[in-house]
Amino acid sequence: MNRVFDAIIWGTAGLLILAFIGLFAGMLVELGQEKVLSSPDLGRVLFAVKLSLFTATIASVFALAVSVPVAYLFSRHTFFGKRFFDTLLDLPIVLSPIALGAMLLIFFNTPVGKQLNHYFGPFVFEVKGIILAQFFVVVGLSLRLLRATFEGIDEEYENLARTLGYSKMRTFFRVVLPMAGKGIISSFLLVWGRSIGEFGATVTLAGAMTMKTETIPVAIYLSFESANITGALIYITLLVTMSLAILFFVRTLKVGTI
Amino acid sequence: MNHSHLQVDALTLSLGGFCLRDIHLSCAKGEYHVLLGPTGSGKTSLMRCILGFYRISQGALYLNGKEITHTLPEDRHMGYVPQHYSLFPHLKVEGNIKFGFRSGKYPFQNADRIVDRLCDMLQIQHLRKRDVRFLSGGEKQKVALARALAIQPDIILLDEPFSSIDEGAKRSLWINLKAIINEIGITAFHITHNLEEAYSMGERLSVLLSGELHQSGPKEDIFERPATQDVARYLNYRNLFSGVAHAHPEGARIDTDCFSVVLSKKISPGTRVNLCVRQQDIKIVKQDNAVKPALRHNILHGRIVSLFPFPEYCLVWFRVEGSTREYDLEIKLPPYLRERYKLFAGKQTDVAFWEPSIIVFPD
Repeated sequence: MNRVFDAIIWGTAGLLILAFIGLFAGMLVELGQEKVLSSPDLGRVLFAVKLSLFTATIASVFALAVSVPVAYLFSRHTFFGKRFFDTLLDLPIVLSPIALGAMLLIFFNTPVGKQLNHYFGPFVFEVKGIILAQFFVVVGLSLRLLRATFEGIDEEYENLARTLGYSKMRTFFRVVLPMAGKGIISSFLLVWGRSIGEFGATVTLAGAMTMKTETIPVAIYLSFESANITGALIYITLLVTMSLAILFFVRTLKVGTI
Repeated sequence: MNHSHLQVDALTLSLGGFCLRDIHLSCAKGEYHVLLGPTGSGKTSLMRCILGFYRISQGALYLNGKEITHTLPEDRHMGYVPQHYSLFPHLKVEGNIKFGFRSGKYPFQNADRIVDRLCDMLQIQHLRKRDVRFLSGGEKQKVALARALAIQPDIILLDEPFSSIDEGAKRSLWINLKAIINEIGITAFHITHNLEEAYSMGERLSVLLSGELHQSGPKEDIFERPATQDVARYLNYRNLFSGVAHAHPEGARIDTDCFSVVLSKKISPGTRVNLCVRQQDIKIVKQDNAVKPALRHNILHGRIVSLFPFPEYCLVWFRVEGSTREYDLEIKLPPYLRERYKLFAGKQTDVAFWEPSIIVFPD
């Protein structure tokens, strides 16, 4: 029985890894062949990379800035309706990004949305829209990751700091944040990687306009739409490389003692 | 030592299904007070109330005569050593000890001298640059103690400080810790479930059982005269009996299910009485020796059922003649008596209680 069990777990893992290797290999083989119509110009590639990095960074920073206090609140306090609000904030993790983008689009047609447009400028079909769409898609993930980080820190450290004269605020900055440092950096990188790959909500709210709202995933979509397979493969390779680099960095992240 | 340094007055706390009820407790200045109780009795909850982490439902807390019931934890000026020490892993040993100085509440001019003195006293000078994650249990305890003492608190609270330390090393650390606390002269409030630790370290003890404070007083009183059957049971006193008082020329005779004992104090006939005799207060009567007068009223004849030799004592289970129970009395003897009295399972012998050692509980 033990051998059967070992065969199942090793075999399943092997098959899954093979499937992924097959995907990457297929992409590289296709990229090496000369059966393409045209490749995108370098300026367009650079635009997509820069826009993706810019929007993903801003969206991730905002998501983290909001998630840190909220995740801390949820990890440390019990309050009326906590389970409901917790579920509500988890929604972006399971909701289809297109549905989320459509909800944002509808929201900007409401009086409140129109007021926001008035004060902050238009979001729909704009770079601001990309940032907003990415923010809403990743904030749920960011909350989940940070909450796990804060829950992993024994509250006794905070209690102890309070007995040594630290207020709640000082305790948070001098004890919780340094101890959560590794978790926060990992969360940021994962959220950032997810933002770079975001497509559904972005294309719904900001559209797919060449050299305007063309992030890497949008560029892949536009390349396929115009039957430019090489262009799509270049963008896919870029996205896969960036994602792998982020994941690798997260796994090897080490935060030393002060 | 005359006035209360820490005073807990009618404290009540409700925590979901658990509550602390009407706790009255006081620690004199410079006293080493141990709160003793089993796991789940509410010791840590009571300590958290004193530290200010739990808002109490009723009652009041005083430190140095000043009410601190609603004072924030950061303003109570209490040193705290948590159960697992909670040394900040992102700081070195020295960073941990100096952590309190950076709160802005304790801007000591001589902070470095305080740290130096504490490191000397606790013999941790050589550890100052070390990573706290690689310290032994005893070293962590010393660093946690130094961190708590560095802010020169009014009182130090220790939550099961030996729970993470190997059994073999505990005893010497009890002596060390007690000596350091005595040298500093600070009031200490220490919680534990370990009876030996409580007896070795505490000057006064309080016994907390199921959220209620059963007894508080000098340690000898607690161990020699437990106030309730529950305290006696917690102290591992197995010989607990219930009986009815009868008239006797010496005072009163108490008839239990399996034997009778004579007490020198008057008890109204018919009164139901609960008794306890500590294992170490029961003597084996050697047949050819004369019985001491203080023992002669309370001699029981029976048989040794089992003997359990331990390194420091020998435990004897004794069944009184005519009893149908597995055993009626548990007796603790010095190990050498087993040989001297030639004790073995099945041996018929007499045992006796010294009357003043019989503990009588109010019904």
